[in-house]
Formats: sequence, structure tokens, C-alpha cells
Amino acid sequence: MATSLLTPTDARAGKYLIFHLEEEEFGLQVQKVREIMGVQDVTKVPQTPGYVKGVINLRGKVIPVVDLRLKFSMPVKEYTPRTCIIVVQVAGDRGPMLMGLVVDGVVEVLHVAGADVEDTPCFGKEVEIPYVMGLAKLKGKVKILLDVDQVMTARELVRLDMSAAK
Amino acid sequence: MVEEVIRQLDELTMLMVVGAAGATETLELLAGIEKSAREAGCAPAADAAAELKNRATGAARTTPEKLEQIVTLGIENLRWALAGSPVESQAFAAPDSAIAQDVELIGDFVNEAGEHLAMIESQVLLLERDPTAADPLNAVFRGFHTIKGLAGFLDLGDIRAVSHEVETLLDRARNQELLLTPAIIDVVLESADYLKRAVAWVREGLDGKANEPPPFGQLLERVRAVLDGKAVAIAAASPPNKTVEKAPSETESASSLRVDAGKLDYMMDMVGELVIAQSLIAHNPEIRALESGPLQRNLQQLSRITAEVQRVAMSMRLTPVGSLFGRMNRLVRDLTRKNGKLVRLELSGEDTELDKAVLEQLADPMMHMVRNSLDHGLEGPEERIASGKPAEGTLVLSASHQAGHILIEIADNGRGLNTEKILKKARERGLISEGQNLNDTEIFSLIFEPGFSTAETVTDVSGRGVGMDVVRRQIMNLRGRVEIQSTPGRGATFLLRVPLTLAIIDGLIVGVGAERYIMPISSVREMLRPTAEMIFTMEGRSEMAMVRGELLAIVRLDQRFQIAGARQNPEEALFVVVEAQGRRYCLMVDEMLGKQEVVIKSMGDTFRDVAGISGGAIMGDGRVGLILDVNGVFQERRNG
Repeated sequence: MATSLLTPTDARAGKYLIFHLEEEEFGLQVQKVREIMGVQDVTKVPQTPGYVKGVINLRGKVIPVVDLRLKFSMPVKEYTPRTCIIVVQVAGDRGPMLMGLVVDGVVEVLHVAGADVEDTPCFGKEVEIPYVMGLAKLKGKVKILLDVDQVMTARELVRLDMSAAK
Repeated sequence: MVEEVIRQLDELTMLMVVGAAGATETLELLAGIEKSAREAGCAPAADAAAELKNRATGAARTTPEKLEQIVTLGIENLRWALAGSPVESQAFAAPDSAIAQDVELIGDFVNEAGEHLAMIESQVLLLERDPTAADPLNAVFRGFHTIKGLAGFLDLGDIRAVSHEVETLLDRARNQELLLTPAIIDVVLESADYLKRAVAWVREGLDGKANEPPPFGQLLERVRAVLDGKAVAIAAASPPNKTVEKAPSETESASSLRVDAGKLDYMMDMVGELVIAQSLIAHNPEIRALESGPLQRNLQQLSRITAEVQRVAMSMRLTPVGSLFGRMNRLVRDLTRKNGKLVRLELSGEDTELDKAVLEQLADPMMHMVRNSLDHGLEGPEERIASGKPAEGTLVLSASHQAGHILIEIADNGRGLNTEKILKKARERGLISEGQNLNDTEIFSLIFEPGFSTAETVTDVSGRGVGMDVVRRQIMNLRGRVEIQSTPGRGATFLLRVPLTLAIIDGLIVGVGAERYIMPISSVREMLRPTAEMIFTMEGRSEMAMVRGELLAIVRLDQRFQIAGARQNPEEALFVVVEAQGRRYCLMVDEMLGKQEVVIKSMGDTFRDVAGISGGAIMGDGRVGLILDVNGVFQERRNG
């Protein structure tokens, strides 16, 4: 990535909300996070991919909820009291929109310095993962920094299913 | 003595309206008015008449239209002068500038044209990628068509001329006589840019700033050159746009204020949440168990206040339909002036209140229908007298509440729809086959088909075959319906049924498996528990039900949406007969859970395209319920 060579990692430095799925830890840029809430009743939306849990009422707004375990093809697990929904703001077709991400639990908020971040290793062209901004090695553990705008594009929630149906 | 002046003025007005006033006659009458005004001692009126006479003498040498325009405006000024009100000399000095006309109307034009131009730009860019795509092409064409129509009756000549040329160009592309090459797209975009500048100029005029209108350059020539199939010279770099941003001069009356729509929406969301929170508290079993008189009284008080807050919040978006009717008034006046018909416009129910969003979206289709009545429905005076009717036709616009909906009628007493002509045209256009038998309602609905028009000539305002299809789509987008009633020789009536607001629907809540869905009651015809005899299976696959002598397709909602645990035996289930785009079918669900008014929430970008779901709503318990789009459910069935 030519751009990351020119501006080495500083765009990726900053505060991250660290959450975990199974044993793996992930980071979301704090400025994208709107709030963290407990799991609540989700209304299923038909004809959407399985990792789309459905929609919830966030103070009068209807927002979609995505299960990140399912999105990242991890095994299904019963929700625990630690399971929660992180509400993030992502770029939509018509301006920013809110979206809920179901995660196993929130760990902490960490400051990630530019020097801590490494580029994603290349796994070959077929396994490009656009939603990983980089890897941060902190406290002896690798944290996967997610670009939340890429994790879930609004189109994907519906389109994936449409192509699967054909 | 003043009465004499008024009588003469009335006579002149009438002559102008009928369009029968010759130049000499007009000038004579004006001289008479000046004379009697002087005798009556009404100097301002006499001066105004004298000045008008001079201007009219000059205009008489040009075209009759110009004369008519000047005199019409002059008459208004004269009436003001007679009434003793000082007339702004500026308005009088520039009757041919559009700005002297109705400010509100032009304001509407500026807004509407701006919307259309924004739409045109985005759609043209789609066209650039695929020059044969029908949808963007039609959209762009309609955009220019509408701008042309509006500019036409506001006498914004330059705007009208440019949009007319581009429309002709696009019409040929629609008819596949012309392929949209990049060069043509350039010309279209350039025309849109010009229109933008012209509209901005009109707006500046509204703000009281007299600037030079933006120059055409060789735009018209270039559009015509493309039309003739000539190669187009690359446009010289257009001069930089030197529009200086000016702070809009806001003049609001103290009794109303402008509120950001986003804030209003947010307040509605919060009020909805408040109502839910209140109801959760009121129905909480622990609280109910407390037998405390003061607490119960306080809770009741809370519930009353919440209900009132909700009512007020809802009503904030409502505006009387009168403002929309007012625009039609002007339209009728201008159109009759042009086509020489005598039409009296009657309004009723102007106080009926509607959501502003609905009102705004009604303006366009209503204008089309009024034009349609004036162009095709109502006859000229001679024809009316010949068929034994009064020379003056009547157009009635009325609005009324009807079971949670607003009913708007546009009724004329003209010649009515000509079923023969419609059938002939429909066959020519291949909309129906030769042997097809249709009842009147079906025939009338043909005029809503895209590309259908019985107008023989292409005019400024209607008759290119766009219009009625747009009308139907716009009304359907409002979740409304449009119907036509017509009696040959007696007139036609357009009936528009639109919801009071776009924000709330009456919903029927149905359960399927563990899920529940909201169905708009407007699309539900009836509900029934089926019996075994009613159900037929065709070729072992598709199921049909015989309901009141009509064979209807059965759609199992659990299969459509892959819901587990739903009742499989139709005899235990519930059939909801729904109507989607004129077709009925049976939707099979488990049970009906209740009826509720729900506030529609957007599902956002994410679920915009989910077939069969039109939106969401917050239910009484605070959970989200999904609103079924019965049309989408049926189409999905056919595809699947």
C-alpha cells in the first residue's frame, strides 16, 4: 500500500475500544463508537444474511445489528451476560448511519501509538481483508484494528443475500 | 363616478380573459378609463391608466401576447390605484419581468426546479455510463419537461426555451432515434448548468436584487446542432461562475418560525419513546399493585400529558391544503388565458390539514391533473354552448377527511373521457390486445400507463404523454390511490385518496411463528378463516383460494420469509386478502394480534432493498416491528 508508506501509520494511531470474540482481540477507533449497550430483543429481518441479526430500537431510531462472530465465520455461541452491542457510526450511501455490532465482550480502551501498528500481512490476493487496518502489538497480545466502514457496508447486508439467492 | 371607472375596468378585464380584445379596442377602453378616472378625481388611477395606455400602445406594435400581458398586469395596478393604495412604481415599470408576478409561485418554482436539476444531474451521470438505460433517461426527460411546463406558465422565456429544446432532444433518444453520445451528454449537462444559473438568477430577483440574466451563449444553437445530428464543437471553457454567496434575507412573520426538519423528526422520535416509556410504567404490574390513590392520579395525569404532547407533535407537520389550492388558482387563470376557455374554479375544504410532506408531493400530480382537465376535459365556449351547456366551465377542487385519509377531488363538467379514443390509442400503443374487453374503470386507468397521451398536439403544458403515469406513481409513492369517474358529455372527476401523513399508518399486526409483522390496513381487503373447500392446489404446487367467487393465489408468509414454527394447515391459519397494484391475493399468517397506529421509521440505507418490507415501526413494548410491503411480497413470490 503506497499510501501507508508515505504517511507511516500515524493515521492509524489513536484511541481504540478493544473487544474480544473468543480469545481474539479487536480494536475499533473510539471516535466511531457511539455507545455500548446490553443485548436486547432483536427483530429479525427476512431475506438477509445470517450474520445480520436484525433491527433494534435505539431511542426511537431503527438500526441494524450485525453479529460479528457470524460475520467473521466463527462458531455460534450462546449470548452471555458479557455479550454486548457496540453501536458504531459508519459511512452509509446517504451519509453516516448507526449500526450495532454484537461482540463477546468489551475489554478496555487503549491508546495505540503509530509505532505499535504493523501492516496486515499479505495472504495472497484471494484473501484480501479490506476491513483490517493493521495489527497492533500491545501488552504482549496482537489486536486486530478494524476499519468499521469496511466491516459492514450498508449494501453488503442486503446484496450478499441477493447474490446468494440467484 | 368611481363606479363608472370600475365598470370600465371590469369590461376590460373580461375582454382580456376572453382573449377577444383587439389592440384598438383595448386602447380605446384605456383612454376611457383615464378620462373617467380624472372626472372622478382619482388622479393616481388616471395617471396609471395614462401610463398603461402608453405602454400598451408600444406593445400593440409587437405581439398580441405582449399586449395582453402588459394590460393584464396594468389592470391589477389600476385596481390598486383605485382602491387608494399606492402602487409600487417598480412593479409597474417592469411587468414583463417574471419577478413582478406572484412571489410565492416563483419561490415554489425555484425550489422545485432546483430539485429537478439536482435529480437530472445524478441521472445524467448514470446515463453517461449506460446511454440506453430507460429509467434514468425517462427521469431526465421528465425533469426537463416539468421545468419547461413551470417556466412556460411563469413566462420565464429563456428557461422554457432551453428546457424545451433539451426535452425534444431527449424525446428522440427515448424513441431510439438518437443515441446519447458523450457529446450529447455534455450538451445536456451544460443546459442543466445554464438552467441552474438561470434559476439562481430568478431567486436573486425574488430577493430584490436586479441582476442581468445569465447569458445563453450558443447553448440553443448547440442543442439544435446535436438534434440535427451535426458534430458538436467542444464547448469553449465556460466563464467562471461569479455568483457571490449572499445571505438569504429571511423575513418571517412573528406568528410562525422555521424549524429544522431534522430537529422536528428527532422530537417525534423522542415523543414516540416517551409514549412507550409512559405506557410501560402505567402497565407495570408492580406499580399497578400499589393501591395508592395519589400515584394513580399522577400516572393518569402523566398519560394525559403524554397523549397531548404526542398530538401536538404530530400536528406540527400539518398545514392546510389551501396553499396548494391557491397555486392551482393561479394555474387555472394562466392556462385559461392561454387557451381561451372560460373556466370558473371553485374551491372547498381549503382548511383541511395535511402533512407538509404529503402536500409538497401532491403539488406536482395535482398540477398535472388540473392541466389535464383544462386542456382535454373542459371545452371551449363555442363547443359548450353547442352542446347546451353554459359557456363557462367549472372546475371544482375539494378536500375532505375520510376515514383517516384525505380525499381530494378534481372535478370538471367538461366532455368527460372518451373511451373510444382511449381504446384506440391503447391498441395503437400496444397497451392492450385487439380482442380485450375492458370495463370503464379499466379503460380509464389506461391513461395512467407510461407513454399514453391522447393530446394531438405538443403544447407547453401537457400533451407529450408524460404526466398521467407520473401522477399515478407519485400518488402511489404517497401510499395513496387515484381513481377516475367520468360521464360522457358531463365531465370527469379525479379522486385522490392520500394519507393524512406519511409518518403514521394504521397497522394490522399479524403473527407468523415467533415473528410479528405490521400490515398497512389500507392494503387489506378482508380477513377470513379458510375452510378446506375453499382451497385448491394447482398442478400439485401453487395453491389458490376461492374467496367470494374469486380465485386468489395463496402466499404463505412463513415460506416467503423462511420463518420457522408457523402453522402449516390453512384451516388453522388466517387468510388476509390484500390488494397489490390492483391484484388481490391471500396472505397466509397464523393469527391477528391486534390493530395499532404506528409511526413509520426509516430502516435506513441498509434495508432499503429488502423485498416485502417497506419500513419499521416501534411497537408498544419498545421493540421494532417490520411493516410488510404486500406488493413486494407478491412480486417476490412470482420471481421465486
